[in-house]
Amino acid sequence: MKTVPSDGPAAAPSRRRRGASGSAAIVVVAGAILALLVFLALFADLVSPYDPLRQNLIASLQWPSAAHWLGTDDLGRDVLSRLIHGCRIAVIAAGEATTIAILIGVPIGLFIGYRGGWWDWVVMRVVEAVVSIPGIMVAIVILALLGTGLHKAMIALGILFSTSFLRLARGVVLAEREEVYVRSARVVGASGGRILLGHILPNIAPPLIVQTTLTVGAVLLAEAGLSFIGLGVQPPDASWGTMLSTAAAFMDLHWFLAIPPGIAIILTVLSINLIGDVIRDGVGRGITVAARQDAPVASFAALADVAPSAAALPPPRPDEVLRVEGLRVTVSTADGGELPLISDLSLSISKGETLGLVGESGSGKTLTGLAILGLTSVALRTTHGSIVLNGRDLRTLPRRRIEEVRGNEVAMVFQDPTTSLNPAFTVGSQIAEVLRAKHGLSKSAAWARTVELIDRVGIPRPGERARAFPHELSGGMAQRIAIARALSCNPSLLIADEPTTALDVTVQQEILDLFRDLQAEFGMAILFVTHDLAVAADICDRISVMYAGEMVEMAEVDALFARPRHPYTRGLLSAMPHASDRKPPLPTIRGSVPRPGTWPAGCRFSNRCDFKVAACERRIPLTGTDRLVRCIRADELVLEAAQ
Amino acid sequence: MSDDALLDIRDLRVTYWGKSLLGFRGKAFDAVKGANLSIRPGQTLGLVGESGSGKSSIANAVLGLVPANGGTIRFGDVDLAAMKTRYPPDVRGQIQAVFQDPYSSLNPSMTVEDIVTEPLRVHTTMSRAERRTRAVELLGLVSLSEEHLERHPHQFSGGQRQRIAIASALALAPKLIVLDEPVSALDVSTQNQIINLLYERRDELGIAYLLIAHDLALVHHISDRIAVMYLGHIVEEGPSDRVYRAPAHPYTRALLDAVPVLDPDAQRRRRASRKAAPARETPRLAAQGCPYRNRCPFAMPRCEAQLPPDYPVDGGGTAACFLFEAPAGQGSARLRLVQA
Repeated sequence: MKTVPSDGPAAAPSRRRRGASGSAAIVVVAGAILALLVFLALFADLVSPYDPLRQNLIASLQWPSAAHWLGTDDLGRDVLSRLIHGCRIAVIAAGEATTIAILIGVPIGLFIGYRGGWWDWVVMRVVEAVVSIPGIMVAIVILALLGTGLHKAMIALGILFSTSFLRLARGVVLAEREEVYVRSARVVGASGGRILLGHILPNIAPPLIVQTTLTVGAVLLAEAGLSFIGLGVQPPDASWGTMLSTAAAFMDLHWFLAIPPGIAIILTVLSINLIGDVIRDGVGRGITVAARQDAPVASFAALADVAPSAAALPPPRPDEVLRVEGLRVTVSTADGGELPLISDLSLSISKGETLGLVGESGSGKTLTGLAILGLTSVALRTTHGSIVLNGRDLRTLPRRRIEEVRGNEVAMVFQDPTTSLNPAFTVGSQIAEVLRAKHGLSKSAAWARTVELIDRVGIPRPGERARAFPHELSGGMAQRIAIARALSCNPSLLIADEPTTALDVTVQQEILDLFRDLQAEFGMAILFVTHDLAVAADICDRISVMYAGEMVEMAEVDALFARPRHPYTRGLLSAMPHASDRKPPLPTIRGSVPRPGTWPAGCRFSNRCDFKVAACERRIPLTGTDRLVRCIRADELVLEAAQ
Repeated sequence: MSDDALLDIRDLRVTYWGKSLLGFRGKAFDAVKGANLSIRPGQTLGLVGESGSGKSSIANAVLGLVPANGGTIRFGDVDLAAMKTRYPPDVRGQIQAVFQDPYSSLNPSMTVEDIVTEPLRVHTTMSRAERRTRAVELLGLVSLSEEHLERHPHQFSGGQRQRIAIASALALAPKLIVLDEPVSALDVSTQNQIINLLYERRDELGIAYLLIAHDLALVHHISDRIAVMYLGHIVEEGPSDRVYRAPAHPYTRALLDAVPVLDPDAQRRRRASRKAAPARETPRLAAQGCPYRNRCPFAMPRCEAQLPPDYPVDGGGTAACFLFEAPAGQGSARLRLVQA
């Protein structure tokens, strides 16, 4: 099975980084709160102004004053002192119970997740039995066996909370052990324990850390609950839980009693969650480093000045279905700038014509298809240009009108048919649904048309196959269904994004033939996005080669393969596996495709080009009339076609 | 020819079992149905086939990731198939692998140094400093340098990640590296860089490769011999040039014909010679007989009844097809095939 690197730009890191720097101050505050908590727990006797147990019934239920900063409780005890001593209980409670939960839950979860088999079966049945009983009952049963008291209550809570660690650890290990790096580690000969602890654990740490912080909060609350029913901290000792239960009894008389322990619990839990997030981001996969800055960065201010020039626009064609002019798509960066992913892209497709959009990952070819449909992710913006479909500029249409256009006038076929079809519904119902929603067909008419369409895309026994679920079909069959669905509304433009890349080569040939056949019958224009120049040679009438977010060459298919004019096109052609018939060294293009944001300032291919001259440092316009090329030396270079 | 082979696979069977409702072993599925292969030291065998052909199952069986359900995998003096998946360390270290997806084959939480030296930590008692020296040496072999040691995989491009994976596979100076689709996830302009690198290191270090791929043209560049798989059977095997230029088995021929070429005019001619075919039903074939018979334009009644054995082919190698039953040089059926 072939896969191709996805074209999606690395938009996430920059957003994440901005979030991280913004929250730095909050992290410092959270750290300070936790440090204070530990300090108070250690030195409660020295810090607290009064003995937390000393009663003064005359001065009970007082409001805050200079003598008692947080007032006094029902027995006249100083609330501040009790709060400070409560820190000690909080630290012990959270520490003990969470540690016990982790020590029991994580190792067992890791083991049964990795080992599987009857170990897994037995342990999971026990865990399910435990979690099916209300937690507090389990705790009471354990306490009935152990006896009451803070430490015993925390052991009970630890056992109770270990089940959530166990299930989480098992779940993430189940997913992780299928990763290729685990296979690599097994091939190297690493033992099971080494793989589990050295390879898998660091990668599954983030969810476990989050679970830890959630557990600390839950333990603090559970301690309050257990103390409230008299199974945890025994009166008169001060814990935040016992203080809260006292406050509950005096809610009507003196509501303020609930405030200090409440705020203490909220602040502690919040701080731990924030610190947990920071630790999680610092471990394993959480590390997200912004795009490399070591390559030359184009001056984007200068780039914005390059207005779509008249020369760059493709000449008007007869029967134009789609015309895109000066399209520019950007992503917001950490420093508030706009990083272009596609710049100054113009193209047009006529009725019954197939235009190939060819390029490697990061070239922006897939993004172009999505931008035409208005389906780019929220982080991206189409800032310039017009997208005229059948005479209307889609960029000026309101959202509801665009949704009507999608599916009616333009449809899309994606790379992986098994994921672009909904696994929960039969394939026939997915096509019929479109027909009923967009064409208003009756249920039976929609079904009849569905079977007809499935028959049309060359699937034997269409009536029977319409009732199949996507996973019951082979990749080639599923892609035929996806094509049938795209055709159901008779679109004037079909955007096909690597529709044969996930298929075997003999099936690919069938699907390409099907596209051609259907185009002859329905007359739609096809925008065919592919990384494979040989596929483009088969299916396309014209080909537009993209590199680093812009078009570098556009030509009729015969002309392009006979005499490529851009050095990148030539390089791509000669690097194709079928281009040369010899032993290595095979021809290569040095370096790799630069990421958005690391594009050279002038010609974006200049750092990999063998024909670079000083003039390539400037921005190069797309020139030509019939065939377009973005190379300043296009006229003087004679590039041979591959072979 | 199996005497001086580094790896010799005979009658290999790999079987997967589905799970029944209660978690017991369910229906059996044979992914590899009796395969014979052989690789000499320092040579490359390309194993080609479409998805579901069983090529990756052979790779996994050689690597000890799945147990063989029959047959032998002789590696030097030992039978890997008999050990199931528990290889002794000295054997383990001699067979390494590079997998397809450079984005998930490197542990994201490890540094390049950790990844490249992990085999050394498992198999040797080298000190940290010695391992680091070796790591720099290994990175040099794949055109990376010391400055990359402290970085994490996500800081590299796909091609660079695959270089790191190769460096790690070279760490123990193995005799055999299994390359499972090593470049199919890479950009076209980067693929050849990796192919060139693999080719140079092979000649320099005398490593044998088992190269698994779906693309015959790509395999042809670097392989000494090529084997073609279809539905768990090896249908053709032979010298690389012969298989690529003069494919014998009808399936190999179909496979080569289906790959689009870079010439629009040639594509037009090829298109004219075929017309849009309906989707094929998933073959549900009886166990006996040729696996390709329901797609084969030359299928004969006997193809239903009997699995064709391997017949020798002009120019070297074998094809599991009755068309080659006639003595070499006389097969009229073969002429028909070539003319077609």
